[in-house]
Amino acid sequence: MTKKDRRLSIVFFLPAAVFMILFFVYPMFLLFKNSFLEDDQPYGFVGFEHYSNALTSQTFYRSLLNTFEFVIGAVTVELLLGMVLALLLSTGFKGSNYIRTLLLSPLMISPLVAGLIWKFMLNDQFGILNSFLYKLGLISSPQSILWLSDSKYALLSCMIADIWLTTPFMMLVLLAGIQGIPESLYEAARIDGTNKVQSFWHITLPSLKPVILVAVAIRMIDAARSFDIIWVMTQGGPNNASSLVSTDIYKAIARYNQEGYSSAMAIIFMIILLGLCSFFMKHFWSSAKKAA
Amino acid sequence: MIANTIKQKYMAPTLRQKIKLSHFFYLLLTCGFLSLFLFPYLYLMLSSFKPPREVISSTPAFLPSQFTLDNYLAMFNQLSIGKYFGNSLVTAAFATLLSVLLGALAAYGLTRFSSKLGNLFLIFTLGVRLIPLISVAIPLYRIIGEVGLMDTKLALTLIYTSINIPFVIWMMLGFFDSLPKELDESARVDGCGMLGAFIRIILPISLPGLATTAIFSFMLSWNDFLFGLLFTSTSAKTVPVGISEFLTAYNMDLGPMTAAATLFSLPVMLFSFFMQNYIVRGMTMGAVKE
Repeated sequence: MTKKDRRLSIVFFLPAAVFMILFFVYPMFLLFKNSFLEDDQPYGFVGFEHYSNALTSQTFYRSLLNTFEFVIGAVTVELLLGMVLALLLSTGFKGSNYIRTLLLSPLMISPLVAGLIWKFMLNDQFGILNSFLYKLGLISSPQSILWLSDSKYALLSCMIADIWLTTPFMMLVLLAGIQGIPESLYEAARIDGTNKVQSFWHITLPSLKPVILVAVAIRMIDAARSFDIIWVMTQGGPNNASSLVSTDIYKAIARYNQEGYSSAMAIIFMIILLGLCSFFMKHFWSSAKKAA
Repeated sequence: MIANTIKQKYMAPTLRQKIKLSHFFYLLLTCGFLSLFLFPYLYLMLSSFKPPREVISSTPAFLPSQFTLDNYLAMFNQLSIGKYFGNSLVTAAFATLLSVLLGALAAYGLTRFSSKLGNLFLIFTLGVRLIPLISVAIPLYRIIGEVGLMDTKLALTLIYTSINIPFVIWMMLGFFDSLPKELDESARVDGCGMLGAFIRIILPISLPGLATTAIFSFMLSWNDFLFGLLFTSTSAKTVPVGISEFLTAYNMDLGPMTAAATLFSLPVMLFSFFMQNYIVRGMTMGAVKE
């Protein structure tokens, strides 16, 4: 590569890089710096005070735990449900193409609208879900499950909305993966006399492992960052029963103007996310590579 | 003899019949799931056409007893929804234009010349995906305030652009990688500079890829709630922020809310229905190699 080429290559990604520096690198630097400073003017240095406040706060622990629960619960159901749907569609029965198209139509709906829809359906007084359950005789009165205002159900309700919104994505990715598995593998297995269940465990699942890993990783990161659904459905309530780290941070910055404290929470959260991600990738990714 | 034919005809299903039967069962099962998935959205849409008191009835019905536009009229009265739609459209459109342009340029540069700086940049853009957006929002909250851009469309557009750029780069990398290098070499022989080859040869060929990427960039900004909530108050307010105000702790205007939510998401639904091939390609690209 000539010197001129090298200079040219910088010209190509310089504009994008400027944006990244202004809106990611510089804010990240500020985030780190502010996490050691006072919340208000004159922004004096306080050392690790915000960090120790966060790490000894019951609320923050609650939110971390809730986030963990939310991510594991939602992504697990999404994976299982998405897999069932992908397998069903991959049989290629008549009309499966149309059903796929219809199933994918909620794909681009905003998380906000998903939250609104479920807030509407799970409402204490006029929610249609409770009215259904009551008509079926499963609950004794239409108000016996307070989906959004009972601390037992609030987080679950938010998970339901997330599952509804993102299972189509999971299904889509898994279906593409299944359709990429060479037919010859199944034919060979059929000659050997394997049944459908066996060929799922021994052919489909192992061939699909890399796809599953990437899809699960993408979904876990996105679920951990989710804010809109929770904010619109419960605002983290009642009594922090459904608060995630993201809603905690939002409240600290937008309601109480605690810039330093919210920065420290964000840094802790990012360290945990990065740690979990690298563990996940290292652990599962290398074993997937070995299997392949 | 007769018994045999009867047996063949009615008792033991042939393999083909077996497949058909199982297919019928799959169809039923999938339709069951489909109705579960479609129900919430249909319910929202149908509710928006109910008379207002039916939306908040304690014995809710799926279908409206009569179709009215009362909820829509109430919504238009309470909300400057036209202005919010304008804000959402302008910020999302400009952010898409800017991010696709800059992102495609960067992706092309990264595929055609490899340099240490370029690789570093690439890893960084991937890392951005791991950052919770709320943590970028905290410092931006003060920065935007200090430069006097609070509650402006410009601030939102710039923020959306920078959120979209890493995403555009990763999507376009795949497209540019699949184009043969001889193509731009021959363009250079014909007297185009690098930039000329990019604009005249590469961009037109990558139009399908650019379209897919643009759809996603647009949706990313259109659907944003967090940044709109933090950085706008009156003049630059976007639709999601406007809708969310129907449901505060003190006020639950469900009727107008269903109308606004339908109006906001129906174009998206129809659009993704008709552009599904593009969308499917974009969504599977990250996870499944073609």
